[in-house]
Amino acid sequence: MELDLRGLYCPIPVLRTREEIGKLAIGEILVVTADDPAAEEDITRWAKRVGQDVMDVKKNGDEVTIRIRRLK
Amino acid sequence: MMVKAEKKKILYVQTSGIETPERLYAPFILAMTARAMDLDASIYFLIKGITVLKIGAAEKIKIGTFPTLKEIIDQSVKTGVKIYACSQSCELMGMPKGDLIKEATIAGAATLNDLVIEADGTLYF
Repeated sequence: MELDLRGLYCPIPVLRTREEIGKLAIGEILVVTADDPAAEEDITRWAKRVGQDVMDVKKNGDEVTIRIRRLK
Repeated sequence: MMVKAEKKKILYVQTSGIETPERLYAPFILAMTARAMDLDASIYFLIKGITVLKIGAAEKIKIGTFPTLKEIIDQSVKTGVKIYACSQSCELMGMPKGDLIKEATIAGAATLNDLVIEADGTLYF
């Protein structure tokens, strides 16, 4: 599933990511794209803290795309 | 096999800004000292604290016989002190994020909460 977080700022990207990942089955992947400069650090730390798997982080100009696998 | 214990972590939170220069040196001095003590050291700047990280601001701050704050920041970064800047504080203080020194990692609420939880101690300025 893809989640477009562009134009949203702290803490909304983390809150929306949490909401969406809850809709996935275990093992499914959420792809989030954000342009809040805080999003990369915030979302990757959030994922680690709550035990979800950050598969990779790709930057493209001001945007970042993070793939997260639901582990629990 | 012996597993090396993770380093102890210390976090400094700076909420004071350039209008109180006497409050700005201590977190850097402490963080540099923490590095010498083999601790991980991070400083998180938020609210008015963000003004310290504006390009060109630290060069203008100098108290008594102390070096400029810019020199202290540069030394801190060299010793491995990590610097975080709160994105929404930039908004609050009307500071474009492009005005931040390149050494700062832009972060937000989740990062500050996480840093406090993972630190073995936190000091607020």
